[in-house]
Amino acid sequence: MISGHLAHRTWLHAVPARLKLIGLAALTCISFWIDDPRLLGLGFAIVLVNYLCLGREARGRLKLLSSLVPIFAVIGLFQFWSVGGEAAAAILLRLCLMILLADLVSMTTPMLDMMDAIEPLLRPLSIFGLDAMRLSVAVALVIRFVPALMEEWMRRNEAWRARTGRRASVRLLPAFLGGVVTLADRVAEALDARGFGRGRKL
Amino acid sequence: MTPAASASIVIDRVSLRRGSRLVFADLSVSFCERRVGLLGDNGAGKSSFLRLINGLLLPDSGEVRVDGLVTAQARRDLPRKVGFVFQNPDHQIVFPTVLEEIAFGFRECGLRRDDANDRARDVLRRFGCYDWIDAAVHELSEGQKQRLCILAIVSMEPDILVLDEPFSSLDLPTRLDLMDLLMSLPQRLVIASHELELLSLMDRVIWLSGGAIVGDGAADQIISSYRETARNARKHTAVAQ
Repeated sequence: MISGHLAHRTWLHAVPARLKLIGLAALTCISFWIDDPRLLGLGFAIVLVNYLCLGREARGRLKLLSSLVPIFAVIGLFQFWSVGGEAAAAILLRLCLMILLADLVSMTTPMLDMMDAIEPLLRPLSIFGLDAMRLSVAVALVIRFVPALMEEWMRRNEAWRARTGRRASVRLLPAFLGGVVTLADRVAEALDARGFGRGRKL
Repeated sequence: MTPAASASIVIDRVSLRRGSRLVFADLSVSFCERRVGLLGDNGAGKSSFLRLINGLLLPDSGEVRVDGLVTAQARRDLPRKVGFVFQNPDHQIVFPTVLEEIAFGFRECGLRRDDANDRARDVLRRFGCYDWIDAAVHELSEGQKQRLCILAIVSMEPDILVLDEPFSSLDLPTRLDLMDLLMSLPQRLVIASHELELLSLMDRVIWLSGGAIVGDGAADQIISSYRETARNARKHTAVAQ
């Protein structure tokens, strides 16, 4: 989800990472105060226009939402049944709004900038012996490898379908998880080879 | 310390176990040539050999010395001295954009963000890859990714560059292109590869089989004996069948 970085520069690239994260947090909080689906719909429309203005690549990422439709359907039906149509619409719109806003920030912010922005927030964790730099690299790694893992799953799924003609099975899971562990091992080794965590100085 | 000892890689009576497998038993070899190739079948111990040089693996007994540094005692300093390029670029690339990937090494050395980015830009400019600066890594071809990996490591200016089968899964034009890049670098090279054309450019080739050195010498000579042995092995398999 939070994977692809938008290669061509847009006006959002020029906004400092910290400001974008504060903005994201603020807008998320505000959206919780608004219960009127029309207002939330307006906000959603504004974000959509932003996507459209950022070029073809950004527009393509709107497809992300379509892959979440089954989840939305379940949430929507449950909410409709428990709190009624208007509240269900508000919840779904809020959800879409937050996902798109978060995606806007992640696809226009270089990872090192994001790490710099996050690091001060993680610094208090040092009292528990956790190193902020290591944690922010961990966050970066998660973001970098989400698409890689999705691709890996698709590849296994494809091979399975080619051999059986059936849809993905849970039987793929152990091999996939084994692959994830191997990948983690290799990446850790590559970081070690580059001196990360060996306390090297220039 | 003699000059010869200060610019050499010495594997001194090394034994290494990985899991239940004994990879090396009392292995000894030293080299100071500018470009050294490692040759051998899969599982011969080439990758472990390279990992000993960077301190990614430490010997169970014996000692590995890189330009006088004992790897078991100098793990912290080794990455600056020995850069390591892996077989699969996707295991090495940590960041989603090209500039960040190169800048990471400088940040790790304590440079501030702007300085690190400036240094990274310099590297990209110097190696004719400035166009990629804002490119997302997933948009690069396999060859471009491997080139990025090499640049990310070379930018830290190590004395020695160790490469573990750097050309597998690359097409011929890309292989030739990267070969040119490697041969133009000032670094000493240690390369494990199945690519005989690349190995033929080395000053010395070491042939490993089952964790032991079975051939060591000039590239042409070792490569042709390796070829001969591989052919004979095939003949025997055919006869057995």
